[in-house]
This record gives sequence, C-alpha cells and structure tokens, in this order.
Amino acid sequence: MAEIAFRNVTKRYGKTLAVDDASFTVADNEFFCLFGPPLSGKTTMLRLILGLETPDEGEVLIDGKPVNHVPPSARNIAMVFQNLALFPHMTAEDNVRFPLVERQVPPAQIAARLADAAAKLHIGHILHKMPAQLSGGERQRVAIARAFVRDPAAFLMDDPISALDARLREETRVELKRIQREAGRTLIYVTHDQEEAMSVADRMAILEHGAIRQIGSPAEIYDRPASTYVARLLGSPMMNILPATRTDGRIEAAGGALRLALPGAPGQATELGVRPEDLRVRAWDGSAEGRPATVFEVEPLGGFTVVTLDAGGTRLRALLRGQPDIRVDAQVALACDPARVQFFGAGGQTLARS
Amino acid sequence: MSAIRLEHLVKQFGAFTALKTMDLTIEDGEFMALLGPSGCGKSTTMNMIAGMERPSEGRILFGDRDMAGVPMGRRGVGFVFQNYAIFTHMTVRQNLDYGLRMGGRPKAEIASRTKAIADLLQLSDLLDRPAQGLSVNILQRVAIGRSAVMEPAIFLLDEPLSNVDAAFRAVMRTELKHLQRQFRQTMVYVTHDQLEAMTMADRIAVMDHGVLQQVGTPLQVYNDPANTFVARFIGAPGMNLLKGRPVETPQGVAIDLGAAGISPVLPPPQAAAARSAKAGVYYGFRPEQAHLVSAGQGLALPVTFVERIGARSILHLGNGDTAVKGVFENDLRATLGETAHIAPIGEAVRLFDAGSGAALRGH
Amino acid sequence: MTATAAPLKDLSQPMSVTAPKPQDEGRKLGFRLTLPAQVLVLFISLFPLLMQLYISLTDWSPLSGMAWPRAWEMWNNFANYTDLISDNRLWSALGRTLLVMVVCVPVEFLLGLGLATLFADDFPGKRIFYSILIMPMMVVPAVAGYMFYMLFQSGGPVNDILSSLLGTPVTVAWLSDPVLAMIAVMVADIWQWTPLMFLILLAGLVGVPEDQMRAATLLGAGPWQRFRTIVLPRMKTIIIIALAIRVIECFKIFDTLYIMTGGGPGVATETISVYIYKITTQDLIWGYVAAIALAILVVLSVACVWAMKRMARAQGDRA
Repeated sequence: MAEIAFRNVTKRYGKTLAVDDASFTVADNEFFCLFGPPLSGKTTMLRLILGLETPDEGEVLIDGKPVNHVPPSARNIAMVFQNLALFPHMTAEDNVRFPLVERQVPPAQIAARLADAAAKLHIGHILHKMPAQLSGGERQRVAIARAFVRDPAAFLMDDPISALDARLREETRVELKRIQREAGRTLIYVTHDQEEAMSVADRMAILEHGAIRQIGSPAEIYDRPASTYVARLLGSPMMNILPATRTDGRIEAAGGALRLALPGAPGQATELGVRPEDLRVRAWDGSAEGRPATVFEVEPLGGFTVVTLDAGGTRLRALLRGQPDIRVDAQVALACDPARVQFFGAGGQTLARS
Repeated sequence: MSAIRLEHLVKQFGAFTALKTMDLTIEDGEFMALLGPSGCGKSTTMNMIAGMERPSEGRILFGDRDMAGVPMGRRGVGFVFQNYAIFTHMTVRQNLDYGLRMGGRPKAEIASRTKAIADLLQLSDLLDRPAQGLSVNILQRVAIGRSAVMEPAIFLLDEPLSNVDAAFRAVMRTELKHLQRQFRQTMVYVTHDQLEAMTMADRIAVMDHGVLQQVGTPLQVYNDPANTFVARFIGAPGMNLLKGRPVETPQGVAIDLGAAGISPVLPPPQAAAARSAKAGVYYGFRPEQAHLVSAGQGLALPVTFVERIGARSILHLGNGDTAVKGVFENDLRATLGETAHIAPIGEAVRLFDAGSGAALRGH
Repeated sequence: MTATAAPLKDLSQPMSVTAPKPQDEGRKLGFRLTLPAQVLVLFISLFPLLMQLYISLTDWSPLSGMAWPRAWEMWNNFANYTDLISDNRLWSALGRTLLVMVVCVPVEFLLGLGLATLFADDFPGKRIFYSILIMPMMVVPAVAGYMFYMLFQSGGPVNDILSSLLGTPVTVAWLSDPVLAMIAVMVADIWQWTPLMFLILLAGLVGVPEDQMRAATLLGAGPWQRFRTIVLPRMKTIIIIALAIRVIECFKIFDTLYIMTGGGPGVATETISVYIYKITTQDLIWGYVAAIALAILVVLSVACVWAMKRMARAQGDRA
C-alpha cells in the first residue's frame, strides 16, 4: 500500500538539470506512467523514488513521509528491470524464491508467499521451467513475481517490454495492466512508446527536459493537451498543428485548404491543432469552400488508411476508417468538426475557447 | 532490366534450411516488402539478391541476366544495412560520396551529385560533421543517401527503420515511399513490422520459417489472407481466429464456436467450404470489421479489457481460445466483466481449415 | 509548421545519455583500499631504478671491494655519461640494433599483415595452418637460437638445401661472415616474431566491422580501395601498438642472437643488449653499464610517449 509523491523535486547532474521542480502524487494502487522523449528525466525520477539518487531540492514522499534520507533497502520498493534479469541457471520457482532465501525468511513463510505470488500471477504451471523455456510474457510474470514475493509497497518498471517485437508488446501490455489490477499495487511505469503509455496508464505525466508539462488520464491528455509539445507526443499519426490566420470571423489554415467558421476561437490563437482522425477528406468538386489539397501519399493499414496531404506547402495527415479509394495526386476538400479543433498561442500553450 | 526473378531459390546453412524453394518475381520499379518474424528467411533472401550469400539451389535473375557468379560489387544494387554500416571514421560527406570516389568519377560530378542527395535528405548542414556520434535518425539518412547517390536500379533495404524512434519512423515511411515513387527503382524492403510493409509496399511477400506464405498487395493480404499465419501477422491487432465446427441451423450453416456461442449464419459458398473442412475451421474476422449487437445475436463474451489508444479503442473480449478483439471509436461503452455481443460486419468473415491453416475460399 | 517538419528539427542532436557521475566518496574509498598494493608496486619498480641512477654516477664495480651503498666514495661527476658519448663500440652497437629494427620490423609487419588478411577469411585447414604459424612464438628464444645456429652451420641444412637447389655444393660460412651473420640473425628474428605481428594484426582485422566491408564492396570499392579506406584507418591504433611493441623488443634483441653468433664474428653482430652483457660480465664496470642502461631507458621512454600521443590523437580523430 503506497502513495508516492514528489514535492518540488529538483535534481542536477553537474550543469544538467535532470529533474526540474517536479511535483506529483501517485495514488495507492494506481498505474502511473512517466512519459517523454529520451533524456526527459523519466529514469532519474525512478532512481529518486528508489533512493539511488537524493534530490538536490524538494522532497520525495512515500505514504506522506519524506524519504530523502531513507536508504533504498528500507524503502520497500521493487524495481523490475528492462531486461527482466532472471537468473538463467535457475528454474522459475528458484528465481521467485531467491529474494526470500537471501533474506533468510522461514521456509514455511517462503512457501506461503510463493503460492500467493504464483496464484496472483498465474504462473503455478510454469514454476518448474527454466527461463529459456518460457515465452516473453511468461518471463515477465516470473520477473514480477520475484519482485512481488518481497511484498513491496510499489513496483517501478523502466521500459520493461521495449525489447519485445510489436505483436508481443501489444499482448504483453494488456497482460501487465491485468497483473497490476489483480495484484493491487502501486505501479510507476516508464515508457517511450505513446501507444503503450495510453494503453496501460490510469494517469500519466508528460515530461520535457525534466519538467512535468501535464498530468492526467491518457484520454484527458489526448483530448485536451496543454500545449503543442504534449499534443505532438500522443497520437499516431501525430496531431496536425497548423499556423492559423483569422479573416472575418473565420479561421484559415493550410494555405486555405482548411476554413472553419469559429466564432469562439480565442483572439491570440496563432496555431490550430486537428487530430488526423478528425479530419474529413472528400473528392474536390469545386463546391466546397476554400482551396483543394493534394494527396501526397496513401498508406493503407487495413482497418484504417493514413492519407498525407499537401496543402499550400503544408503537410498534414488524415486517418480515415476502412479502405477508401483515394489516389495519390488527387485533389481533395478538407473539413473537420470545429468542436474538435484545439487552439494554441504563440508560446505553444493551449488557449481556451471564449 | 531491373526486375528481379527468384527461381526455386533454396538456402541451407549446414543442416538448417533457411529458405525453402522460393519463387518470386519483383517487377521493375516495384516496391516489394519481404515481411515476417525473425528467422523467417527474409534477410537471407535479400542477402542472396545482393550477392552476399550464395544460393544452395535455384537462380536469381536481374532482368534476363543470371546473377550466379556475379560478385556483389558488380551487381549494381544499393543496400541499406539494418545497423547502417556507416563508415564512422569518415565525415558525412565522405560517406555520401564514397561510392563515387571509389568509382573514380570527376570531382565536379562528385560534388554536384553529393550536394543533390544531401539536399534531398536534409543533410546539407551536416556534411562536414564526423559520422561518429550522430543520432540514428541521421545515420539512417546517411545510409540511404550513400546508396542512393549511386543511382542503383535496384535498392535493397534491411529493416532500415527498426532503430529510429517512433515519431521519426512515421515521417520516414512517408518520405521513403515518396522517394521511391519519384525515382522508380526496384525496391526490396525487409521488415518484421507489418505496419511498415502495409504502408509502403506495392506488394508484400509474407514469409515464415523459410516458406513464402503469400504475395499480394497490402490490401489483398489484409483482406484475404492465404492462411492463419498471415491472418494473425497482418493487422494491428491481428485477425480474430476462433476454432469451431460447422453446424446446421434452421437459417443455414453456422459455426459452433464452443464457449463463444454460435456464429451468425454463413453465406452459401462459405457454408459449402466449411462443410468440406474435416478438421473443423477457424472462424476469422478483423477487429476493425466488427460491431456490437444486441443480446441474442453474434458472439457473447465477457469484456476483459478496454484499451483506449488515442484515436481508437480496443475492446478485449474472452480469454485464451475465445479471445476476440474489436476496434471501435472512442465513444464505445463497455464495462469490465459484463457480457458484450459482437458480430463481424457484412462480408468480413474468413474461414480457415483448422488442420492446415489454409484459407477456405468460399467463392 | 507542418506536421512533417516538426520532428525533423531535432534530428541533429546526437543521442547521448547523461550517465550519473560516480560518487566521489566511492572513488576515495577505492583509492584507500588499493593504496598498500600501489605502494608495493611503486617500491619494487622504483628501488632498482634509483639504485641504478646512483651507481651510474660512480665508478663502482663489484671488484672494488665495497658494498654498493658506499659507491659514493667513488663519485665521478657524470664521467660515465660523457664517456658514453665518445664510446664508438656503443654507437656501432646502437647502429646495428637500429639496422635490425629497420629491416626486421617492416618485414615482420608486411608478412604479418599479409598473413592476417589471408586468415581473416575462411579456408580449408585454417586451424592447422594457424597453429603452425604461431608455433615459432612459443619456442623458447634460447632454443630458437640453438636451432638457427645448427641450421646455418657450413655443413648445415641451409647449405644442403641451397646445394640441392643450385646443383653444386654450397659451403657458405654463414655465421663467420660479418654480413651473412647479420642476415642469419635477422632471418631468425623474423621467423620468431612475425607470428606476434600476425596475431595482433589479425585481432585488428577481425575487429573491422563486416558490414562496413560489405557496404564498401556494394558501393563498388575494390579490394585495395577497401583496404586503404576502411581497413587501414580502422586499424591505425592497433598498427601503432604492434609496431611500438616490436620496436621496443628489437632494442632488447639478445638471446637468439647471442647463442647464434655471440655478437661475432668480432663485433659484427653486437647489438646494444649484447654489448651491455659483455661489458657487464667481462669488464665489470657496472657504473658505466648503469649509465648506458639509463640512457637507453630515457630514449625508449621518450619514443614511447611520442608513440602513445600519436595513438591518442589517432583515436581522437575517430571519436
């Protein structure tokens, strides 16, 4: 049972600011994801929670108690490493048992905890196998079980499934989420894969240069990003962010290919953002407002189709459902639901509609 | 001239057969993706085309010219390695113009062609930087530019995007495909990522365990997979496949899917195909081609997970043998643990022989 | 700002991960823990050096009837070092040593490189040839010396082979002729030390990434072009190391040579080491010997530092 919090934490390595005045609270039993590009401070935050680093300023709190000077061994937090780090010469059972044997826990208690972990993680049937005989997902469960038997207050995971191939990642992330829900522990998870982050997280923190830019549920952040930076990080294809100009009560973007009647648009808006899935594309017949866009590339995904468009030198992407018959170099008209458009100011910040 | 023909190509490494009798024709100017999981023989095939490996059996022809005995330096193919194989002791420029310099081209020509390719790939500002220490995104473009500057008629790429970050990968996919469309080289692209193959290739050759499984356009392999391997491998998520047996119902033939219930009635040609399958069938449909229906119709399965990933939501139903996924808009309403009723839309159903895994084409 | 252009902006930033600095406390503790061992090593290497320096400034000899710590009584104010400059025998010995170096090291290098190139690829029987090739290196130098001494006797196998090749009896007195003795000595050195060169260069050659070689081949580079543009630049460091090792070793050439010719005929094959050995054991002027040894040490050290700097620079070019 653990609530983990940062209160104005700053950490420097020499001149590099690794964590910049970060504050957040991870609730008990929450699946919390730290998400950002490389070097945005994700891993440093994990190290601060583990106690491998001490904050230069601010406090790390576990269950409301400052732990800045509590050594890692006394924090009762388990880390599951990227490569899972199972001992290859031991069976799954011995791997799971290892931390307990090391701590000289009485045998009866070891058996009880082992049984508990095996039941919670559904690994009873594979305990006799060697790690090499296990699938990626099974290895994952064993690695988590090994951390679980110590009965940690919280788990930390640093990009645990990035080494798996795409198909297996899709399966494993769902599995992870299920394990966390069943095991009922706080989990702080680092990933650089936006799809994975959105899939697993209850809430997530978006990082840039060690600073937290936005915290919220994946849906909140996806639907209402706080800035262009956040907007670009989530979503594939990424959000179209276009310089916008205002002409008598309308907003125009992409060289006139996108014209929206938007009375509520904030005055200072310099850019507008449209998600690819919100962009509608149809053949140009001259009747639509504005100018046509040209189809630059068509990428069929099967269930969806990504269409890259060229409008007055601006590239934008539309994500269409199904397999529409759209050819490269065709002229198309663009439209979108004005309610789904975001506005950004000169500094990239999101502006509220008036 | 630059069409590639593989005739009965076999490659053995000792007792291990990496490639079993591959026949494939890659048309002049075509973008062909060799797609499959690691160890499926795709890289071996490409290395043989490049001349890095010698076929154990069979022939490779460029146009009508048999490539047997032609060393790799003389085949005139561009090759982009997975790890890029950048000459790290040289600058970006020295990498880009390497082939031209080795070929003893005039200085002015080297300079102008190098400049053209650097401009195209946005490397102009980096020309005099040492290649060592540049980011993978740049190295990847240097690797492509280094081959492209030679203007090869055949371009071979071995997982060139697997090391670059996700955002850049999406951009490079579009750019690569557009480049190929402009220059019309014959392009062979090896990848394990079905998304890359789907989005870029004119045709995809799906491979598994050294065997060619299916060749077709992206939408052909997506819509009409030749077998269960292709059905599962293509698409994200892959096709739902439920094992079952044909049963006669008052309305017609349907598939008894065990715990998942009875499928909607099959159209007559599929019904006939299903009846002929002795070992039973796999009932398949794409997660994107399903809808939620009212109770009593479709498959009734418990909701095990709902993933909302940006633009779409993936609904996970059932477990193990009855696992089914559906891809929906974000307005999807589903509660964990409750029973959902899902049915494939219109003509989305595909049947496969449960014994061989081969598609049962009911038409 | 288009959706496409956005990610391209940051491409030029090199990917690097700022690793946390190791903590100073850990470093200090490590220093303290290894201190006793370091002091011991320092003492072992420093003591003989200081003793040598001390003796080199005196006329002390084991025959002088006093223990070496009292050598100051025979202090001679750098006379040993001034003598050294006018010692013709020393300068000839140095000249011969340099000659051996200038001839043997390049020959060993080229042979080693050729063999390494050959062995970088697979061919049938590679393992057997490999073992045979590195055998000379494992032969005790004294044994090698004796072996070559026998080979080059006037009635020895070398002359026998030459006789059968030429059809007339050949009775060259190899080790009695000043020039031929030198040649014989060099042949022995090349035989024994080419394998080391081969091994070092092979390690370097195998380290050249296969993919880069293939990439160069596919870009149309021929074998010589590949060697010049890919292999050589990548092996620069290891080549310098190999040459440095052999140059230093050449200065120390002694055992094989001494057994074959004893530095003779006359002083025709007398190298630095042989000369020092002779004056140490025959003339017993140890003060002077110490001065020579120190002078050579200084020269070699300077050469080594220079070579190391070159190496560091070569590596700097690559980083």
